Amino acid sequence: MAIRAARSWISGIVFLGGVAVVVSVSAVAFRDMHRDRPIYPGPGVTRVGMLSAYLGDLAGTGLDTEVYYLEGQTPGATVLVLGGTHPNEPAAFLAAVLLVENAVVERGRLIVVPRANRSGFTCTDPGEGHPQVYEIPTPGGPREFTFGSRATNPVHQWPDPVVYVNRLGQQLTGSEVRNLNRSYPGSPTGYPTEQLGHAITELIRAESPALSIDLHEASPEYPVINAIVAHPRALGLAVEAAMLLELDGMNISVEVSPVGLRGLSHREWGDNTDTLALLLETSNPAQGRLRGRTDAALVLTGQDKFYVRAGERNALYVRFTDRGWPLEERVGRHLQALVSLVEVYSAQHRQTPLVMQGVPQLRELRRDGLGAVLQPPR
Amino acid sequence: MGLLNVFFPEAWVFIAMVGTFLLTVFLLRQPVAVSLLAGAVVGAAIAGAGFPLRHFVEGTFVYLDTILIISCAMLFMRGIQASGLLETVAHHLVRTFRNWPTVLLAVMTVFAMSAGMVTGSSTAAVLTTGAIAAQVFASMGLGKARVGALIAMAGLLGMIAPPVNIPVMIIGGGVDMPYEGFNLPLLLLTVPTAILASLWIGWRGIRRVGAESQLPPSVHGAYGWRLYLPLLLFVGLVVAERSFPTAFPSLGLPIAFLAAYLIAPLCGRRFNPLKTARQAVHDALPILGILAGVGMFIQIMTLTGARGMIVEAFAGLPRSLFYGSIAVSMPLFGAVSAFGSASILGVPFLLNLLGSGVIVTASALSLFASLGDLVPPTALAGLFAAQVVGEKNYVRVLARCAIPALFVIAVAVASLMGAPTLERLLFRSAAPSRGLFLGGVALGLAGAVLGLEWAKRRRGSREGA
Repeated sequence: MAIRAARSWISGIVFLGGVAVVVSVSAVAFRDMHRDRPIYPGPGVTRVGMLSAYLGDLAGTGLDTEVYYLEGQTPGATVLVLGGTHPNEPAAFLAAVLLVENAVVERGRLIVVPRANRSGFTCTDPGEGHPQVYEIPTPGGPREFTFGSRATNPVHQWPDPVVYVNRLGQQLTGSEVRNLNRSYPGSPTGYPTEQLGHAITELIRAESPALSIDLHEASPEYPVINAIVAHPRALGLAVEAAMLLELDGMNISVEVSPVGLRGLSHREWGDNTDTLALLLETSNPAQGRLRGRTDAALVLTGQDKFYVRAGERNALYVRFTDRGWPLEERVGRHLQALVSLVEVYSAQHRQTPLVMQGVPQLRELRRDGLGAVLQPPR
Repeated sequence: MGLLNVFFPEAWVFIAMVGTFLLTVFLLRQPVAVSLLAGAVVGAAIAGAGFPLRHFVEGTFVYLDTILIISCAMLFMRGIQASGLLETVAHHLVRTFRNWPTVLLAVMTVFAMSAGMVTGSSTAAVLTTGAIAAQVFASMGLGKARVGALIAMAGLLGMIAPPVNIPVMIIGGGVDMPYEGFNLPLLLLTVPTAILASLWIGWRGIRRVGAESQLPPSVHGAYGWRLYLPLLLFVGLVVAERSFPTAFPSLGLPIAFLAAYLIAPLCGRRFNPLKTARQAVHDALPILGILAGVGMFIQIMTLTGARGMIVEAFAGLPRSLFYGSIAVSMPLFGAVSAFGSASILGVPFLLNLLGSGVIVTASALSLFASLGDLVPPTALAGLFAAQVVGEKNYVRVLARCAIPALFVIAVAVASLMGAPTLERLLFRSAAPSRGLFLGGVALGLAGAVLGLEWAKRRRGSREGA
């Protein structure tokens, strides 16, 4: 009896020791996700602030994030660009990073929030097998970025309710309570992600951007892809910009923000503020359900044989060939569409345009890659 | 591109993972959870991913919320069992309907579903209202396996019944479809199906409860209304959170279960809450281990591309085999998790079927996904139903569910194929036609129950004579 008890104690201690080792070793990788990979402000950045300036309660939390202001010499239109609403959509984040590191505003003002849901950059989604980081080579050495989660890290907001009923009464599955793009217009006293949504809405109210553009990606089987989603007030602008892009050889569709789908940026920014709300989508196989091996190479090259097969049987909403959808192509599409929207707006508002230089374009990115326009690591 | 080029080497990885799992379970006689871990380790190694410790650990978090819900629901169930609440509620129900056994069977089925309707979880349904219904079914003369099957089927159909259907919300989230307009089709797909399934499983075996001594014991006399407080507190917390989402703090199911458990020793028969909790966790541990192992297995399947291979293989079947592939793949993948099946397969399937009565289609897909709760190794509904009724071999419970599960599949396939018609009838037809259709379904169901009641009485009186 005593021997059995001793054995059971020993096996218990050995098991707990094993658990401690596994936890300690794996914790190093998980902790490393909490380290912000640097963004190097370029010559156009005149000021860097924090989002908590618009909602004090965010200060010191894992959801507070940098806001980059690129101000021109003369007044003009203000444009807000959000990247990283969903940190598992890297082209949206990198397009915003390239703006911060390269754009120079001559007239008007550009406000960029590259890590809109900064908390989501500190974890990956369990079960999805995503890489924690990916690297982009630059002439000065590789730049490393984290591949995050679609939603706020549960370390910062947990537990989820069974059903999330957002502020506008929309019923969603519980985990959507951590999805920034279901939380708008947000609430100063709600869940942390709703507070984040509120802070961004307050930023729009305080800074009065004429255009507010939320950058995203979607899986190739998702119907709204390679598209501009526009609030009804921004529809004319989106259609004109899409026509310009088509003339330039870039296929893009325009979708109207659905009335029945509440809590999304393109709907709530437009309904609750004066801004013209738009959302851009590109095609990202790394977040799709049909994807094969999930690693950093898939994130960078966007090549996947299962998607090629799905494309052959017309099951996708984008053309998918062996070439895939490389990251530079997706980032380039975002920036090209952004510039086009700004150009159309500026042409319509000649007294208050936004004039900017240095934004990398699709052709340049196709030719030289992302490494040529990202600043080298310091 | 040739099929071999497309599906290999991922197919080898999958075969190796499943093969290792089966060998470890059946040859080495290791627990299912350990075998799943072994499958994941071998799969990662064969795919050239080495020993990705971070992925193994991350995989165990896939079902963290489910694990917490199950642990706390087990505590709650053991608590209300120890306090005498379970038996007392069953006592009152049986006494009320003792002369109408077929009606009681149907009523208790809907009652067993109710917790799943509110929480969206089959486990919660089986361990709460299912546990109460089980006492009633047992006192009507049904054996453990049949009772287990009854509450397992009620639990999984309760999970799909409105107002809360998480698989539909997940599928809808994947295609930007709001969770609106689902109540009527979900009610139509689930409640008649559940009642007919119950009649199939239980009707032959039920009998009238005669003498008072055959009733489950009641402790109502000793403790009065205080006895029901744990159940009321649990229902109150869940309903308050659902009804006043902006005013009432979101506690989540685990805390609602825990709060109810903590007051149980003060409301009925005294019991040691620590000892009961230890027993409950001990009982739940194998399934908690399986869930952690399944999470790890899925994480490695996704990492290596085996998951994508399976999704594309099923989604890419020719149109003539499409409904068949849904009927097979969604329940099978649901063995991992009904919610996972809805997300991984439900979304691509719905995208393939867009334009053909999308609300009814999504509802039918959720019905397929729910059947995953009857598929081993997890088989959550079957496993917990077996635990509730004290049936050691949960396969006996699952065997009793086989025909009703096929019936559910038939209902789901018919709904998929007739989705445009059904949706037109439910949403776009004139009120009299809609009323006629719904009234016809309700009358038919009531007729079936009352007809069987009459047949039971006739048989009873013949046997008596």
